[in-house]
Amino acid sequence: MQRYLSYVGMFIGVVLLQIFLFDNISLGIYFHPLIYIAFIIMLPLDMRPIWVMLLAALMGLVMDMATGLCGLNVIATTAVGFARVFVISLTTGLNTGADDTIPALYRLPQKNLMTYMAVMILLHSVIYFVAESLSMSHLLHTLLRIVVSDIVAVVVIWYIVKLFIEKILNK
Amino acid sequence: MYKLIEFIRRIYVVLLFLLIEGVALYCYAHSTYYTQAKILAHTNSVIGGLQNSIFGVKHYFTLRGENEMLAERVAELETELEFMREQQAASADEMAYAEIDSLTAQGLVQYRHMAARIISNTTNRTRNFITLNKGTMHGVIPNMGVITPDGVMVGFVVACSNRYSVVKSILNTDFRSSGKIVGDDRIGSISWSGKSPYRVEMNNLSIYAEIEVGDEVISSGVSQYFPADMKVKIGYVESYKRNESQTANDVVIRLATDLAKVSNVILIENYDYNEVSELERAVESGNYSSSGGGTPYQN
Repeated sequence: MQRYLSYVGMFIGVVLLQIFLFDNISLGIYFHPLIYIAFIIMLPLDMRPIWVMLLAALMGLVMDMATGLCGLNVIATTAVGFARVFVISLTTGLNTGADDTIPALYRLPQKNLMTYMAVMILLHSVIYFVAESLSMSHLLHTLLRIVVSDIVAVVVIWYIVKLFIEKILNK
Repeated sequence: MYKLIEFIRRIYVVLLFLLIEGVALYCYAHSTYYTQAKILAHTNSVIGGLQNSIFGVKHYFTLRGENEMLAERVAELETELEFMREQQAASADEMAYAEIDSLTAQGLVQYRHMAARIISNTTNRTRNFITLNKGTMHGVIPNMGVITPDGVMVGFVVACSNRYSVVKSILNTDFRSSGKIVGDDRIGSISWSGKSPYRVEMNNLSIYAEIEVGDEVISSGVSQYFPADMKVKIGYVESYKRNESQTANDVVIRLATDLAKVSNVILIENYDYNEVSELERAVESGNYSSSGGGTPYQN
């Protein structure tokens, strides 16, 4: 029960952090870290893909309502939720579809955890920023937004993940 | 049938994914700045209070700068007021006063001003909106122009709830207005490309317009959102070049203010907005008749 509450708290925490902190930091058009994706990253690695995708869609819907964007966040988060099982397999070598024993997030080697996190963040931001700009004429500009925002997002989410594992899960 | 059910059972995650993505893509493709603003206006009824408190704390740290700016503005207005008083005293014409009173009584004064505070403001998206702490219960209505206290263009109101309103910022790729160089009456089209929060573009400015780097750019006066005689400041010419067809100039304008740092704004209502809009719509749809007979021109 406590574990579920931790995830509910995490959901609310990253949404509030995004809306009230990161959306209000105005350091230019290139600085737009999307840190709410941390919630999807931190879901248990052995969670059924259908639940991951539905929770990702819910997260997208909440962010759409909070930011006034009609569907943009749902498009990006649902795609990441759907692709997560493949990203895990690709970056950690684990196969969540088979009967393998899947280690918890905190048992992943740091290198694997970082790669998994970075790929998830990159995938999400590419879909988000490309769909937001909807123009190939600003391709370089969009690429720059992805790079700058992702560097910040990786650093912030790394600390959020560490905090979650150490303080909330007590591991 | 069993095989079909078994097949669907195996691929239901993919089907559900395609369904959710399809619905989201449909909503996003059919969304406009107006739907975004409407959603924001509704959401603000829930989170507006919290945003208001957070912005209040942030606002506290910028008070000094704002006070200095307001003091300068008050001094400027005092000077103008003094000048007006002197003029009035010099031409104490009873008839003129009577005429002004009569115009005011008939509702022919065109603009109304109102102050508001920004509680949420983004500048890092392609479609940026600003949320204000005043809504319909304070007299805010859609299509009110928004400027900073020192007279710089910010945007216009697109949606209101009871206590809050949402402004389409000049830093929104859907924003359109018109501007001109001070001292030249030729008009260009103002828009934002989404590249820098400090610059906007003025396109289709006549090649005959007298233009220099550093020239001040103001609102054209033909906009329904901003008073024609107010000269709402937009920014300064940073660079310009002929467009691809060599028929007009495309101008890059450095904004006169950093919109991310603005915390107070002035709202301007144009009492004639609806009348003019209805008249224009009637002319466009061919329902206008200058001889009267049920035209929107008649009251």
